Amino acid sequence: MQPTDKMEESAIYERRVFKNASVYHYMKIALILENEDKRMNAAHFKQLIISALKDLYGEIGAAFPFDVLKFEENTLTAVLRVYNSGLVKLWSALTLLGSYQNEPCAVQVKQVSPFLLALSGNSRELELD
Amino acid sequence: MVRFKSRYLLCEVCVSDQSSLQLLDDRTVFSAVKAAVCHAHGDYGAALCSLSFAVKYLNAHTGVVFLRCRKSHYRLIWSALPFITSLESRGQRVPCFFNCLHIGGTIRTCQKFLIRYNTQQLHRMLRHCHTEAERLEVRRAVMSCSLKSRGKEEEEEEEEFEEEEEEWGEVV
Amino acid sequence: MFTNLEKCPRNLLVCEKSCFLNEKSRHDIHVAKHYFNYKVSVLIPECGVIPSRLRSVVNGFTKYYLVRDLPVYKLLEEEFLEKVASKGSIYALSYNTKIDQDNTIALLPTGQLILSVDKDTYEELGLEGQVSEYNHRQPMRYVVTIDVTSKSVALGTKRYKRAMWALKEKMPLRSDFLLARHNIAGDEEGALQSFLSQHNCKELRPSVSIQTLKDLPCPSLDPASLRGGGELCDPHQFLEWLGAVTIGVKCDNEASNFVSTYCCPEPQGSISQALLCTVTGLLLPEDIHSLLEELRRYFDEPKFTSWLSVTVHGFADSPISWGTTEHGYHKGGENFYSFVVFKNQDYWLHMGTGTNDGCPP
Repeated sequence: MQPTDKMEESAIYERRVFKNASVYHYMKIALILENEDKRMNAAHFKQLIISALKDLYGEIGAAFPFDVLKFEENTLTAVLRVYNSGLVKLWSALTLLGSYQNEPCAVQVKQVSPFLLALSGNSRELELD
Repeated sequence: MVRFKSRYLLCEVCVSDQSSLQLLDDRTVFSAVKAAVCHAHGDYGAALCSLSFAVKYLNAHTGVVFLRCRKSHYRLIWSALPFITSLESRGQRVPCFFNCLHIGGTIRTCQKFLIRYNTQQLHRMLRHCHTEAERLEVRRAVMSCSLKSRGKEEEEEEEEFEEEEEEWGEVV
Repeated sequence: MFTNLEKCPRNLLVCEKSCFLNEKSRHDIHVAKHYFNYKVSVLIPECGVIPSRLRSVVNGFTKYYLVRDLPVYKLLEEEFLEKVASKGSIYALSYNTKIDQDNTIALLPTGQLILSVDKDTYEELGLEGQVSEYNHRQPMRYVVTIDVTSKSVALGTKRYKRAMWALKEKMPLRSDFLLARHNIAGDEEGALQSFLSQHNCKELRPSVSIQTLKDLPCPSLDPASLRGGGELCDPHQFLEWLGAVTIGVKCDNEASNFVSTYCCPEPQGSISQALLCTVTGLLLPEDIHSLLEELRRYFDEPKFTSWLSVTVHGFADSPISWGTTEHGYHKGGENFYSFVVFKNQDYWLHMGTGTNDGCPP
């Protein structure tokens, strides 16, 4: 145990409210391919998103960074991290993404949150049957 | 009165060979700018720009181009212009670049600017004249281009402006 | 270039620092007021196997029921109120109803029944309610609160009868419900069982999953400095790291990596192994409170780690978040809180909410 004086010293109550302090937004998305046998890795996946962004917003509009934090190859689900200023662009580009290697595909946005922690608990995924 | 506010971009098409300017027409410039915007800003940017985007005036002698677009989106075109490296006209590729000289809210301000700009250019040319005849020619041109004496102009450039202005007046 | 595309909806993060031993500490109130909890995850650094006492607490979480197609008026009937609700705190939340498109209903242990309904249902229902705070120009959603414990809507009064009539005959609302009860004392199971037996229902236990994580980079924490500042990471960076660990994101990417450049915030140490225990279901605040108490006792014996964390996620589709603060979905419907418990009984509490939500208490 810590000495008592230390404890009293550190027990000062402090409260802070951060409004819009998160610089990032996080998205959990799933890619749906018509041809389910097709494989892809994280780099291909990111390249696909970048090309979708370039189609919709051009070279200048697509020039913002985002990260593919996690990509699961067997379920084709991913967690993306993007700066707040790029969220709308990324989201709309994902929505309008329609083909991968000349085959129809779609992106399903599962969850969007300014907290990465919130993506670990999505109550809409609760299935009891 | 409410009207759509526009921005007019006064540009100069710079080519290495002056004679190739004759090949240009409105449609060439229009499609080149459109393609550049599409490349730089994608489908979204191109769609925003296509609202009231027009090539208002093209002078095939001097390479002066007037572009009109919505005030809210002129930056899209503005930023895409440097990426144009050639114009495709009548099956020929003309390497060129666009030099944006002025951005104005009305055609009139652009016209004023253009006259001032051309006068400056003539002054500059005057210094490089070699023969007396050339010098006289340029001097006459300098004297003739001022807004005040516009009424008795015979230069086709000025006439074109007046046409444009009439049209603009109707819009307002 | 497209400035109108760069805007973002607001989010709030409230951070508190205090000590469990402090008399004014409000940690228990915060826990108790967050009624509908979906998931708890506990992260204990430098711990390989779950301590047996913790295991028994986690396994002892109250069971809950999924009741199919329950008419809402049943929750207001005299029999239910007197026999079931009054003998313990009861929690009910409509299941598989999305708050941004469906009618959502919640019964709080305080006796309030909250109906968050769309405009058509509201007009059909004919009960007094408020316009939802998170409407656009045109109100499309209303919140009706029926408080049976208050005098004006008590059993047998005119307003109670009207509410019963509205829900029974005028607009017979039905929904699937998640229902759980915290028993105070004695064997009161019978009343609840007899109530449940009248309906198609299924008993469920919160599902527990335990995993051990190996070799994690971990930011250094100083209990005294909540805000971070200086060299330490700020609360957002810490929560980002905690989230990254929970969902299994790689935390040691190079800055030149094409796919991801995420890195654990500096200054960092490393953890050889960590225990991640998650419980999912309709979890009662009482259970979370006992879990927290148990985790405080974790430091009674000397341990290698100086901190551990508990994160509690609320239901995204619950009509309330803390207390009776209205909650909406907007983009993610997140409402969660996270405790970081330190060796010396200090704690940090982070409470985060999204756009359609009030400020946490």
